[in-house]
Amino acid sequence: MTGALGVRKGAWSEEEDVLLKKCVERYGEGNWHRVPRRAGLNRCRKSCRLRWLNYLKPSIKRGAFQEDEVDMIIRLHKLLGNRWSLIAGRLPGRTSNDVKNYWNTHLAKKVVRHKLDEDDPPGKFAAKVNVIRPRPCTFSKSSAWFKGKATLMAPRTPPDGNHGQPSLVLPHQDKESAWWENLFTDSSSDKGQPDASSWPRELAMEEGRNGWNEHSFDMDIWELLGANPQAVI
Amino acid sequence: MENSTQESHHLRSENSVTHESPYPLYAMAVSSSPSRHHNHRIALGSFLEEYTNRVDVVSFDPDSLSIKTHPGLSFDHPYPPTKLMFHPPSSNPSKSDLLASSGDYLRLWEVRENSIESVAVLNNSKTSEFCAPLTSFDWNEIEPKRIGTCSIDTTCTIWDIEKNAVETQLIAHDKEVYDIAWGEARVFASVSADGSVRIFDLRDKEHSTIIYESPQPDTPLLRLAWNKQDLRYMATILMDSNKVVILDIRSPALPVAELERHRASVNAIAWAPHTCRHICSAGDDSQALIWELPTVAGPNGIDPMSMYSAGSEINQLQWCAAQPDWIAISFSNKMQLLKV
Repeated sequence: MTGALGVRKGAWSEEEDVLLKKCVERYGEGNWHRVPRRAGLNRCRKSCRLRWLNYLKPSIKRGAFQEDEVDMIIRLHKLLGNRWSLIAGRLPGRTSNDVKNYWNTHLAKKVVRHKLDEDDPPGKFAAKVNVIRPRPCTFSKSSAWFKGKATLMAPRTPPDGNHGQPSLVLPHQDKESAWWENLFTDSSSDKGQPDASSWPRELAMEEGRNGWNEHSFDMDIWELLGANPQAVI
Repeated sequence: MENSTQESHHLRSENSVTHESPYPLYAMAVSSSPSRHHNHRIALGSFLEEYTNRVDVVSFDPDSLSIKTHPGLSFDHPYPPTKLMFHPPSSNPSKSDLLASSGDYLRLWEVRENSIESVAVLNNSKTSEFCAPLTSFDWNEIEPKRIGTCSIDTTCTIWDIEKNAVETQLIAHDKEVYDIAWGEARVFASVSADGSVRIFDLRDKEHSTIIYESPQPDTPLLRLAWNKQDLRYMATILMDSNKVVILDIRSPALPVAELERHRASVNAIAWAPHTCRHICSAGDDSQALIWELPTVAGPNGIDPMSMYSAGSEINQLQWCAAQPDWIAISFSNKMQLLKV
C-alpha cells in the first residue's frame, strides 16, 4: 500500500523495524528528516519517529500494566482527563499511546459506569450554569465627572469627610451620575444614613483611632524617607 | 538614622522574623482568627514548576518572635497554588480554620490542630476533561459563604461554599482575568489582560462598569487591591511596570495617583488594613515601599514614606488585619515578617 508521496503506509514489517532501529542506534534520535534516507526506508519521517518513540525505543516498558500503574492512570485521568501525554509523564517507561490504548480498551467502560453509580455531590458535576456576559459601561470624558480636572494628580478629599470645599469637583447632588453611591448602600448595614459626604461603610478616618502612629516606624529596617531625602533615589 | 543593610536576614530580631522554606514560595496567607495558643497561622504555597507542590502552615508567635513549623500541617497541592486565603474573621469562630487555595480548581481545606484535611474541590466544568486554571480568588469578608474566582478563560465564578455550588458565572472580560477583589457583599471588581478594571454588581448582572483602562491598549493589569477602609479607592499594577496606579471609583478613567518610585516591576500591593491612606508595594527591585497618600499631591509625584530592602525580588506581600503591625513578604524561598 503506498501513499500519495510513494511512501509505505500501514503496519511496520520486521525488516523495516530492524532498519529503523539500526539507523537510530547509529545516528541517534533527532534529525528525523534524514532517517528515511539513511535507513533506506520507504516511510514518512513522521512515521519513523513515532514508530521509534512508541514501540522500538529500548526504554519502553513491555508487559501488562501493573496494579499501581493502573491505579495511577485512573487517578490521573480523573484529574486531567484525556491528556495522555501528561498522564504518561507520571508513568516512567510508558508511552502516551500505550496509556491511551489501555484506558480505552480496559478502563473507560468500567470507570464511566462507576461514576454514574456514584451519588455525586452537587459540586462535582455542576448543573448547567447560565453564564452571563455583563455589558461594560464606561464614562465619557464630557460627563460631569471631569469638570475642573486638569491634572493627573487630582486633589483627594480629606479622609474625614467632605465639607463642601470648592476644590471638590464631584456633584454629590447629581443622583444620576452617582452610580457609585448606589453600589454601597446596603440595606442590612448598620453604618448609619448614607449622606452625601460619607460612605455608609466609611469607618472613622482619624489616624489616631487605630493606634498606628507612622512616626513610630522601626528605624532599623525601614528607612524613613521623609527624614532622609537622599536615601531613596 | 542608620541605613538599613542589604542583608535582610541579619537584622536584629525584633524588627523582622525570617522563615526559610525548602522550596521557592509564592502564595501566602495570614490567618485572621488566632488559634487557641494565640499563634497566628501563615500558609505558604510552594512554586515548583511541576505537578507536585506543597502548602505548609506555620505559626508565628509575636511575643517570642519565632516561626514554628508543624510537620502535620502540610499537604500536597497539584500545581503551584496561585493564591491562598484563610476564612475571613467571623463572629462565630469554630475550632478549626478553613483555608482555600486556587490553582487548577478552587479547593477548601480544614486546618485542624495537627492535620489538614481536604474539604472540597469545587469544579465547575461539566466533564473532567477541561478545567481552566484559576489565576486568583477573593473571599468575601461580609458574606463568607461567597468566594469569587477568576480564570484565564475570561470568566469570574462566584461560588457558594456552603452549598458547594456555583452562584453565578460571568464572562467578565475579553481576555484572561488576573485578579478579583470584593468591595461589598455583592460588589466585586476584576482586572484582566485586556487592560481594564471592571466593577460588577451581583444585583445587576447584565452590566459592568469599566473604571480604568491601561493607557497603552491591551497592557495587562496584573493585580487589584480594594481599600477595605475606604471603598472609594483601589490600586492596580500593570504588567512590567514600576508604577502603582491608585484609582478613585468615583472618577473613572483618570487615576488619582501613580506611585512611581520602584526601580523595577511591581509584583504585589496591599492596602493597610487599619488605616485608609496607606498602601504597601513590593517588586523586582527587592524593595517594599510603604506610601502614605496625601490629600494634595506635590508636583514631582508622591514619595514613599518608608522603604525596606529584601535579599532578592519580592514576589508576594500580605498585610493582614489581624496583625496590622506586621507585613509578610516572600522572596525566593524565604518568608519574612516585617514590623512596621
